[in-house]
Amino acid sequence: MVELIDGSENVSVHGIFNWILLLTIFSVIVVIGNYIGYKHPIADSLIGMAILSLITLVGVWMERELPLNISSIIYISVIGIALAFPSMPTSDAIIHYVSQIELLSIVTVFLAYVGIGMGKSWGEFKAMGPRAIIITVLVIASTYLGSAVVAHVILTLTGVSV
Amino acid sequence: MIWEWIFIPDNDGQVEHIYREKTDKRILKKNPWRDYRLHVTVLILVIIAELIGTIKIPITKDVAITIMPLIYTIVLGLVFYLAKPITWIQRKQARIAEGAMMLFIGVLIAKLAVSSGQSIHLIFEMGPALILQELGHLATILVLPIALLLGFKKEAVGMTNSIGREPNVAVVVDKYGFNSPESRGVFAIFIIGTVIGTIFISFLVTFSLSFLPLHPYAFAMASGVGSASMNAAAIGPTLAAFPGMETQIEAFAGFSNLLSFCVGIYIVIFIALPLTEKMYNWLEPKIGRESITAKKGDDE
Repeated sequence: MVELIDGSENVSVHGIFNWILLLTIFSVIVVIGNYIGYKHPIADSLIGMAILSLITLVGVWMERELPLNISSIIYISVIGIALAFPSMPTSDAIIHYVSQIELLSIVTVFLAYVGIGMGKSWGEFKAMGPRAIIITVLVIASTYLGSAVVAHVILTLTGVSV
Repeated sequence: MIWEWIFIPDNDGQVEHIYREKTDKRILKKNPWRDYRLHVTVLILVIIAELIGTIKIPITKDVAITIMPLIYTIVLGLVFYLAKPITWIQRKQARIAEGAMMLFIGVLIAKLAVSSGQSIHLIFEMGPALILQELGHLATILVLPIALLLGFKKEAVGMTNSIGREPNVAVVVDKYGFNSPESRGVFAIFIIGTVIGTIFISFLVTFSLSFLPLHPYAFAMASGVGSASMNAAAIGPTLAAFPGMETQIEAFAGFSNLLSFCVGIYIVIFIALPLTEKMYNWLEPKIGRESITAKKGDDE
């Protein structure tokens, strides 16, 4: 079933309204999970999620509106780092409220959507089977051993003794 | 020019653009928030998951299987989609969930970015080893030829560019789109890593400590692989192996994991993914096998 809608429409007030509503729904679910799982105060967590949602909104908006082929991830990262940079006047407040949100709280809600969205690809996942398990094991082993060896070489070169 | 190489790779700009339009169609024009049953279902899944909390099943003194709430929600979400009696989570909702997910990745990235800005002085204070060992994670790319020999195609790019944890999944999905082979690859690594990663790394660390003559700090730094549960699993045997150095090992392991989450994501975006793609384009014609995943044209 092909959707007969072209992608030429610009970001409208209506579109931004939808983004804000979605981020609000997401924020409320994260804050509830954050409260149940980590007992962080609800009011502060809501402000934390409002900050993160606002950063996201600006980043997503910039990706679509600015004439550069830069992913929203980069915009969002730069805004987030800049706001929390120690010498910035915003940093204390940003860090206080955002630290009320556990990364794992966000991930837990995010992965519920991923799980539902993933259902469509279930057949392909099953097809991956034992080969994917072999690759996963090798990837974990190489990432661990890779950084252990590099760390060891640099420590030896810089003369850090045991 | 370096910026072109980073941001405008040969063919990917177009792919990303098409994908972005698709996401916009789904979440901008379909008023996805009106599908309240999807969001209420997610809320219920999250409440169930957080109430159960983290479960640890000890196997030996150092090894325990850790099952975290995020695993319940991803599995339950999938089960809800697949279960026949649950009629309100169907293909349409899955599509909306995908579109919404693309927006929610931003929140995840924003949280990581704030942590990066906050801990930027640690990045300067810690020795060169702590930062450079992050480049050691690029060793995953060495697995790419094996993946190709096993019959993976573009999935291999998603599988071997990194350890495939949450931030890596976010980066790959953002770059290639949810339905791309690259994303299926990184999702496969993520799911398998979530289930077996913690146990596997415990044995791997125990084995490495016994057989590799490396600096104790190197083992401590290496345990920060970018996954909190895997980090915890890796520290246990390391502490046991070097009695009297607990404080240093814990400090290095903690900082290293923080770096993996803060800096690791940029290493993946700027170095690992472009490098993996180049390796793929070079090796695939040489050693690529018949694709093992059948093409399915059911994206729309």
